[in-house]
Amino acid sequence: MTVWDVVGQVFILAGVVLFAVAGAGLFRFPDVYTRVSAVGTAAGLGIGLIVVGALALQPGLASGIKVLGIVIFQLSTSAVATSAIGRAAYLARSPINRVTFNELTATEPPDEGQDPEMRPGDGTGPAGRPNEG
Amino acid sequence: MGGPPKAGEDVIALDIAIVVLVGVCVLAAARMLIGPTDADRAVAADLFTFSVLGLIALVGVRSGSVATFDLLLIATLVGFLSGLSLARALTRGRR
Repeated sequence: MTVWDVVGQVFILAGVVLFAVAGAGLFRFPDVYTRVSAVGTAAGLGIGLIVVGALALQPGLASGIKVLGIVIFQLSTSAVATSAIGRAAYLARSPINRVTFNELTATEPPDEGQDPEMRPGDGTGPAGRPNEG
Repeated sequence: MGGPPKAGEDVIALDIAIVVLVGVCVLAAARMLIGPTDADRAVAADLFTFSVLGLIALVGVRSGSVATFDLLLIATLVGFLSGLSLARALTRGRR
């Protein structure tokens, strides 16, 4: 076992830990938007770390060029996809879990942490907000 | 069978990583089944896609094949289109 094997295993395990945190975040986070943040981190950095670790276990010039392309494309495109899903969730009126409330105006926390203006609706945008850009 | 020299057949971290990624796939599938809204299902499908990408990379190292880097390059080029399609489907085709 050379030093590259150790480096590769460390990178692969770091990426897999990111994926495990994202998988746990799918069940621990209360609403869609926090889940999107967890998945976006895992998708960009996790895949990058796993692929770099795979390169360290199988070194080579051709593989290195491909891995460089994979990391660049993954970091630049996965964030686009996950943020597009988050934006679409907001436009589809997915409920937001508000964890804070104003103690001066509210006598009790809102019902189940739901913002009353962001109820799950019929797929149209929030009220009073232009949908089509 | 005498295949190519396997780089990862004595690397225990690969086995652990493959098991954990399969577990993440199971978690994502469960969230896809019980997701309260369609957005939850879209996020879970996104995580499932990238978990399968990681599994492709790890199984490629485990079996000693360098051709999986080509697969991953193409998958990263077109994989994010699945997320964009799900986002478009969430808003019923509107932007």
